[in-house]
Amino acid sequence: MQDTVIESIRERVSVAIEVNQSVGIQVPENRHKDLLEAIFHSMCRNTYDIWTFITVNQTFDYLTKTFKEITKQPNIKFIDCISRAAGISDNSNNCFFLESPVMLENLILEVMNNFKNKKEAMSNAKNKKSDIDKYIVIDSLGALLIYNDSEIIRKFYSLVMNRSRAENIHVVSIFVEEELNSNQLIQFNDKIIVVRDSFID
Amino acid sequence: MPIIKEVCSTGIEELDMKMSGGYPLGSTVLVTGCSGSGKTTMCMQFLFNGARKGERGVFFTITEPLFKLTKNLEGFAFYDKKLIESGMVNIIDLRIISERLGLDTEKYTVEDAGALLDILKDIADELDVKRLVIDSITALCYRLQSPQMIRDFIFKLGTSLAVMKCTTLLTSEVPPQTFKFSQYEIEEFISDGILFLGDVKRKGDLIRTLQIIKMRGTAHSRTKFALNISTQRGIELIPLLKSSEFEFETLLK
Repeated sequence: MQDTVIESIRERVSVAIEVNQSVGIQVPENRHKDLLEAIFHSMCRNTYDIWTFITVNQTFDYLTKTFKEITKQPNIKFIDCISRAAGISDNSNNCFFLESPVMLENLILEVMNNFKNKKEAMSNAKNKKSDIDKYIVIDSLGALLIYNDSEIIRKFYSLVMNRSRAENIHVVSIFVEEELNSNQLIQFNDKIIVVRDSFID
Repeated sequence: MPIIKEVCSTGIEELDMKMSGGYPLGSTVLVTGCSGSGKTTMCMQFLFNGARKGERGVFFTITEPLFKLTKNLEGFAFYDKKLIESGMVNIIDLRIISERLGLDTEKYTVEDAGALLDILKDIADELDVKRLVIDSITALCYRLQSPQMIRDFIFKLGTSLAVMKCTTLLTSEVPPQTFKFSQYEIEEFISDGILFLGDVKRKGDLIRTLQIIKMRGTAHSRTKFALNISTQRGIELIPLLKSSEFEFETLLK
């Protein structure tokens, strides 16, 4: 049963991400890990695509210990918004550690610069793909609300969405049901997926 | 509003976009902000970017010793030692010039200030510089002994810069968390443009900001931007996410 649910999430998420410019995924806390596994599976499978994973829920260190395969992917860049603020000093070539989760403008700059740098690097590569897809995953908006006012987060999300549309970047946003109220923001997305305990809407 | 077509790139892509391509050629721009706001980095980025385009520049410092200044620069990707060695970017300590002129480096008389201005102009002419920076006008004026002397010096500086054929940045130091453009409140009147580098508090953290207050002869944005300083890209700008929290703080001041 467990495997069936993960497989189902994986397939649904994978298709939705490819087809839509923005996807909002609402998930209960007890399915959050399964959802991450499904998303990481998509990220590892599409090695020609460029991914930026913004983590506000768990530290990069925790993620790499839990999902070991993600550290080996050169097309994935992580932005850890919480380690520095928690006084955790970590360093990795695969991860940018944001000084503070309230420095949202720096977060956007880092995301955009990552796509610019990676795209240049991949364009120069020998086996280059003509159309490189770019993705941002935000995990999660609700966790950003722990550190910021809802007014700022609404503006941040709107800016991310607008810049992403302008630069043809897909955005995948995770909304954990039990977290602080960020649910109205899910409406910004082209496609909404609701993951439940035993099935997907 | 007349749009000046001849511009001098700031070295910061987003800033160029916000003011029709760059600083109007030959203008004097006041770069004002508190300590740590990014004034010196912005000026250096302007000079090194110009040097790469074949425009010679000179940086007159009166606040930091040369070794310290270059050491801080070494971390930035825009820094290129070869541009200094080739004389495309010249960094000159005004205190050393003062010493060589036999002036008291801590206190200037009217004559001392005049002599220093003449030297500054001669160096700019001799090197045929297109970009000039004085860091900082505040520290320079601090060495003058009366408000009257400061006024006279600033206006004389303005006249000298106006006839020079280069684009000039003057840095101006102001106390933190104040919306004031200069220490002596005259510096802005000799400037064609003002860039205000400040910061806003968000949940106790400081976010660097930049605002174009004026830029004569060019259409420019007046919105506030968040400013980030990174070693890879130098200064970068992005629209600031504004909230009522900022407005409230400003009203309280």
